[in-house]
Amino acid sequence: MSVTTAPDAPASPGPKPADTQPHRVGGGLLEPRTLLKATPDAFRKLDPRVQLKNPVMFVVEVGAALSTGSAIVKPSIFNWTIVVWLWLTVVFANLAEAVAEGRGKAQAETLRRTKRETVARRLVAWRPGQRPEERREEPVPGTQLTLGDHVIVEAGEIIPGDGDVVEGVASVDESAITGESAPVIRESGGDRSAVTGGTRVLSDQIVVQITSKPGETFIDRMIALVEGAKRQKTPNEIALNILLAALTVIFLLAVITLQPMAFYSKAPQSTVILVALLVALIPTTIGALLSAIGIAGMDRLVQRNVLAMSGRAVEAAGDVNTLLLDKTGTITIGNRQATDFLPVGGVSRPSSRMPPSSPAWPTTPPRAAPSWCSPGTPTACARALRMIRAATAATASRQGPRANCAAPSSSSSPRRPG
Amino acid sequence: MSSATAGWLQVGLLVVALAACYVPLGNYLARIFTTEKHWKVERSVFKLIGVDPTADQKWSAYVRSMLAFSFVSVLFLYGLMRLQHYLLDWVGPHMANVQPDLAWNTAASFVTNSNWQNYAGENTMTYLVQMGGLAVQNFLSAAVGIVIAFAMIRGFTRSRTDKLGNFWVDMVHCVFRLLIPLSIVGGLILAAGGAVDNFVTYHTITTLSGAHQTVVGGPFASQEVIKDMGNNGGGPFNTNSAHPYENPNSFTNWFEIFLLLLIPFATPRAFGRMVKDNRQGYALVAVMATIWAAAVAGISFFESHPMLGGVANRIQHGAMEGVEVRFGTAGCSLFAASTTVTSTGAVDCFHDSLTPFGGGIALFDIALGEIAPGGVGAGMYGILVLAIVTVFVAGLMVGRTPEYIGKKIRPAEMKYAALYFLTLPVIILTAAGLSIGTKTGQSAIYNPGPHGLTEVVYAFASMANNNGSAFGGLGTAATWYQVSGGIVMLLGRYAPEIFALGLAGSLARQQPVPASAGTLDTRTPLFVGMLIAVILVLVGLTYFPALALGPFAEGLH
Repeated sequence: MSVTTAPDAPASPGPKPADTQPHRVGGGLLEPRTLLKATPDAFRKLDPRVQLKNPVMFVVEVGAALSTGSAIVKPSIFNWTIVVWLWLTVVFANLAEAVAEGRGKAQAETLRRTKRETVARRLVAWRPGQRPEERREEPVPGTQLTLGDHVIVEAGEIIPGDGDVVEGVASVDESAITGESAPVIRESGGDRSAVTGGTRVLSDQIVVQITSKPGETFIDRMIALVEGAKRQKTPNEIALNILLAALTVIFLLAVITLQPMAFYSKAPQSTVILVALLVALIPTTIGALLSAIGIAGMDRLVQRNVLAMSGRAVEAAGDVNTLLLDKTGTITIGNRQATDFLPVGGVSRPSSRMPPSSPAWPTTPPRAAPSWCSPGTPTACARALRMIRAATAATASRQGPRANCAAPSSSSSPRRPG
Repeated sequence: MSSATAGWLQVGLLVVALAACYVPLGNYLARIFTTEKHWKVERSVFKLIGVDPTADQKWSAYVRSMLAFSFVSVLFLYGLMRLQHYLLDWVGPHMANVQPDLAWNTAASFVTNSNWQNYAGENTMTYLVQMGGLAVQNFLSAAVGIVIAFAMIRGFTRSRTDKLGNFWVDMVHCVFRLLIPLSIVGGLILAAGGAVDNFVTYHTITTLSGAHQTVVGGPFASQEVIKDMGNNGGGPFNTNSAHPYENPNSFTNWFEIFLLLLIPFATPRAFGRMVKDNRQGYALVAVMATIWAAAVAGISFFESHPMLGGVANRIQHGAMEGVEVRFGTAGCSLFAASTTVTSTGAVDCFHDSLTPFGGGIALFDIALGEIAPGGVGAGMYGILVLAIVTVFVAGLMVGRTPEYIGKKIRPAEMKYAALYFLTLPVIILTAAGLSIGTKTGQSAIYNPGPHGLTEVVYAFASMANNNGSAFGGLGTAATWYQVSGGIVMLLGRYAPEIFALGLAGSLARQQPVPASAGTLDTRTPLFVGMLIAVILVLVGLTYFPALALGPFAEGLH
């Protein structure tokens, strides 16, 4: 499923500064800066070989070229106005597509950076049974790990690559990948030894033997997905392209056959006029803006804290009639979050430092600590829940209607990557 | 009774009669194409042609059967015309063999249900050809259209199968249960109304003024009924339904118009019944009726107000040039509108003589393709394809994969739909452009100026859409028009049918999706309006340049 609701990159290096203000997630896709950055690409796309992928705009470009030739032979203000207008149409269409592509590139770049920034503690010449004081560590970037390397990962650190645990036991938070909010135990030997790059060790210390080659890790596949998503046209888009191509052919013929009829009627028309008529008839607007429409759909979802990896996913979401969830965590954040700390049964309020097993997700307010309660203390639990609800409601009212998107712990505002 | 009152009365009676037949005939049609039982005579036909009536065909097999059947029909008809001098020529008047180019054009024309006639029937075709060739094709070509419409409907009613029914079984059922019984009843009514039906040869009589005139007898009423009811249009006389032996009086004129519209307007009911939602049928018939009513109103208005545009003779009762005085402009306009929207092509007045705008509407009707209500069967699959396009366009506005009658409209379906509506404009515009752009084509235009242009565009629109009516001022007996016309008619008939069946095959393979809150309700007036808009915009934009230089230029000059 390519709709993921994890609002941040899976391998965020360490807890984010917890005091980040909840902010409205801006679309930012059709901002002037983005447009400006995409402009050179828009001109590069004037290459007919690239244009051929979009038959409607290819016809417009050929028409623009024909009109230019015709305007050079017979210059007039009218002709040149039409020519400028036609070229602008083509460039604007390219711009929309360049922005769409730029977005995919930016996402992939964020993921790559994440990967580069993960520093692995590689063990030199590690042998099974080696005593801790005999270990020699060297820090290397996560990208340089290769098959058979051994790395040591401690509580709070990110596992730098896919591999098997060869020594130790640890609880690992795999929520970023599986959506499962409870930590899982990974230990050496047996079935539960496999760990995935990008997940976080919550307790203890393990030695991991890397089992994936560089470029084939989970994050690499994510990058490929993000980059590949753009190239996938949605089924509706393909169907629409068929319709647009058919209409273009019809109108092309209507205009081509107009000339012999016009000759017969003793009113032959100039090339510029015919091209202008053709561009007016064929579905230029929708052909040009198709990619922009896709971005707009993804943008709307981003504003609601849903990360759509492709226009295809947006469309698939539109076709959903019934949504079945195994647990609420999957569709919201995928991890537990604390909104407030409630001391129960005479325990004093702890310091603001989070215990190692506390949720990985940065929470606001910063003093937050686990507030779920264990069975066996029903009264305290009920009281705690009431307080949580009150706190949630208060936060929600402060933040306005948007807050309920990130339920149940609405006070934490997920950021989108990049 | 004034001409206008007569017109209103005829339209009113027509609406009442068609409405009365909608439910019973529609239900009967649905039963014909869903029954598993076969009559004794049908079983003997199956045995004769070696068909297993229980074996269903894939869409591709259905197409192959249809094409093979039509190919044999063309060959048979061509042979019959080329050899008519030697065959059974003791019945009726003697005729020479038909020339090859004319025989080719006529064979293609009758097999494709166009019935474009480049000849005068009364002095070209023997009774054997008329009855055993042309009239037989009137039945068979109509049946082909109907069975394809029902194969297409099965695409909606069946799921997770690639079988659309059996072409041969459908054909036999259609002919024996629908066309023959209705033709017998209709033929008797026409004969009772005064249409001629006999086997006599030419009579030479002396008129009151002392001149000699040749009077032709022949089997007319029996051919007339299927000519109209099957939306064929090819009558035994050159003057078609304007001839008193084919169409003797106002009643038969009205009855013929009723026959034109009978099956096309009842098919949506059969569709609604087969998809188990009669309101789907009502929505489609509403679209058809609206466009038909608009066409009738438009042509009637311009024919009764000849001052608006053009230089047609401005006499009291409207534009009377080319109009049979027995029917007047009201009867003529009603017939002209009904024959052009149903792709029949029978005429009781001459379309070449319609006022520029009236003729323009007739041309526009034909250019609509076969949809409103279209030829028998052809209109049904035509409007279904456009309904799919409409649902798709509407679906884009809500961002869901659109669905129609529980079937999703995906790229595969869209591909067939696009090919379907692409075919006719390509054929018409290419052929018309070639004819107007070349000396060969231009030399056959008798009326220079915009009217000549309209004639050429009308000719190819009529042939490609298998209508068969013509603007007479074009010398279509020229070899170029004979040969290209035959090709245009065959392409215009079979290419869309293949795409329609492909679409049906693709739909039948899907499993139905239940309607949900996001499904566009295709039974509402909103959808009816949208479908009409899509039809008008698509056709309007495609043919606007041609219409502007033809009828508009002539009318506004």
